[in-house]
Amino acid sequence: MRNFEDDPTLEDLLTRDQLQRLNRTLSALCQAPVEIGINRKPTSVALEFNLETVGWLSGGSSDQERLAAADLVSFLMMFVAKYRLAANLHHDTTEASYAELQKQNEALKASEARYRILSDQLQEKVEEQVAVIKQAQMDLYESARLRSVGQLAAGVAHEINNPIGFISSNLKVAGEYVNDLRAQLPQTEQNRELLDDFADLIGESSDGTRRIASIVSDLKTFSSIDQADYTQCDVNELLSSAVHLLQTEYGSDLEIIEKPVELPTISGHPSRLSQTFYNLLDNAAQAVRERRQEPGAESRAGRILVKTSVDNDVIQVVIQDNGCGIAENIREQVFDAFFTSRPVGAGTGLGLTVARDTVRAHRGTIQIDSREGTGTRVTLFLPVG
Amino acid sequence: MADHSAENNRLALKVVFYGPALSGKTTNLMQLHSLLNPQRKGELMVLETRDDRTLFFDMLPIGLKGDSGLDLRLKLYTVPGQVQHDSTRKAVLSRADAVVFVADSQTSQQDNNANAFGNLEENLEKVGLDIDTLPMAVQFNKRDLPGVVGDTELQQRWANTPWAPLQMASALNGKGVIETFRVLLDRLYTEVDREFALQSVHGIDRDTFIRQLSAASEESCA
Ligand SMILES: Nc1nc2c(ncn2[C@@H]2O[C@H](COP(=O)(O)OP(=O)(O)OP(=O)(O)O)[C@@H](O)[C@H]2O)c(=O)[nH]1
Ligand SMILES: [Mg+2]
Repeated sequence: MRNFEDDPTLEDLLTRDQLQRLNRTLSALCQAPVEIGINRKPTSVALEFNLETVGWLSGGSSDQERLAAADLVSFLMMFVAKYRLAANLHHDTTEASYAELQKQNEALKASEARYRILSDQLQEKVEEQVAVIKQAQMDLYESARLRSVGQLAAGVAHEINNPIGFISSNLKVAGEYVNDLRAQLPQTEQNRELLDDFADLIGESSDGTRRIASIVSDLKTFSSIDQADYTQCDVNELLSSAVHLLQTEYGSDLEIIEKPVELPTISGHPSRLSQTFYNLLDNAAQAVRERRQEPGAESRAGRILVKTSVDNDVIQVVIQDNGCGIAENIREQVFDAFFTSRPVGAGTGLGLTVARDTVRAHRGTIQIDSREGTGTRVTLFLPVG
Repeated sequence: MADHSAENNRLALKVVFYGPALSGKTTNLMQLHSLLNPQRKGELMVLETRDDRTLFFDMLPIGLKGDSGLDLRLKLYTVPGQVQHDSTRKAVLSRADAVVFVADSQTSQQDNNANAFGNLEENLEKVGLDIDTLPMAVQFNKRDLPGVVGDTELQQRWANTPWAPLQMASALNGKGVIETFRVLLDRLYTEVDREFALQSVHGIDRDTFIRQLSAASEESCA
């Protein structure tokens, strides 16, 4: 590539037309025709530009004429060259600036792309952190809840076990005393009736204490006070404890049908599983109750079906109710933490979220099928081993 | 880069007058044009100016013939000093064989001098030249004006650079212009002789080189 400063040739400075015109005008001025060319002829004079011989001028009638004409041509070429040089320089710098601009543009694009990736990553990172924080918050909340339930259960078990122990042993002794009395008292009709009644009372009371003892034992299973970490869990046992507790709370109005099949044990966190079962059962019970409060539905029996099965090393737990169901417009949100369709104060709204998280922690999944006005079926899939 | 054509036995060298706006680069060249009487001297080309400020460049070709018939040309260029003409400055600077840095001695111009010098370093790098090996002379011009930074102070400041001693000039009055040019020729000769064996092959020694190219009009030409 030529540089703007390269010495111009005659061709660079003057076009063929311009040269011919110059020849014509100079010839008109001189007494003999004049010709400019790039070849030296015997009488020609050099045409100089920038100390450079760019061409030769021949013809004319005398040396004097030739020198004057050559001087005029050099003088003209000076201005042509100035213009040419400025134009070339302008062209060179414009191209250089444009190339520079393009380079900058490329660099800018590259850095913009880099920043875009960074900012996307930032967004992702923030979302990740938010999820971690949410999870930690929930775990904290849940563990605090579990702890308090566990402590309550432990306290209740402790406080109740002792009095139940002496009540039941006292009742046994009292039964023996009644028999002793029967031997010593006169055998009248009245006395016999009294003592029979007495024995019945003591018998019913003993039954009652046995029931209380069994509730306390369920409570202990439920809160798993004894096992804090992962152990082998019997899902049926945990489920049935939760069912018993729920039954105690809701009474005989609520029919709970249990259909367990024999299951392998799974490695799990018993108190979290119990809590999950209880929450789901509680949801079902509330749905049933809500349904029965609807006008015209009083006579309808509330029913919860609790079923277990095992298929391909996956335990399925189904908790199905014939309650009010979940309205379609809120079905998407049921797993959102703190979402609750119940009146404020009736629940934390953490139930289903916690259930999902617990199931996930056990590498399982949760599925909800619901129809408004008909009922809801929650199915938990828990892999064995 | 020196443009050497063995075929025509020609060597073309490029000297660039660089410096801040209005420091007197064009004035230097105009003075050289009228004061110098070298073996060969072409026309001074002053390209477009606006309010006396260079828009493109100015150019003065001079030359000499060596004993070997070497046709040695020196083209002296000035750059536009105004900040906005940087791409033009860069284009003119490219392929330079030597640089005369013309600084403005006025106290108020010290920042402009420094910026222009920084710009010279930057542009030399961009056009692939090395300021440490490029022959260069530094001139502080406008010594005739009041309120200029003192001579000794300037010399002291530059004492530890390859460009000491500085050349003091009043280009408007033609003072120091040829002296600066001679200092430059001296430094340029060293480089050109090393590359093209001016003395041994072409019979041009240092003294001839400097004298022939910077002969003043009133001095006789050897
Ligand atoms: N007093 C004084 N004025 C000077 C001297 N040299 C140059 N000038 C003036 O300074 C002004 C600028 O001089 P130029 O030679 O055009 O400056 P330049 O460096 O070519 O400026 P740009 O082309 O814009 O880069 C002119 O008015 C000159 O007359 C000097 O030695 N003394
Ligand atoms: Mg100028």
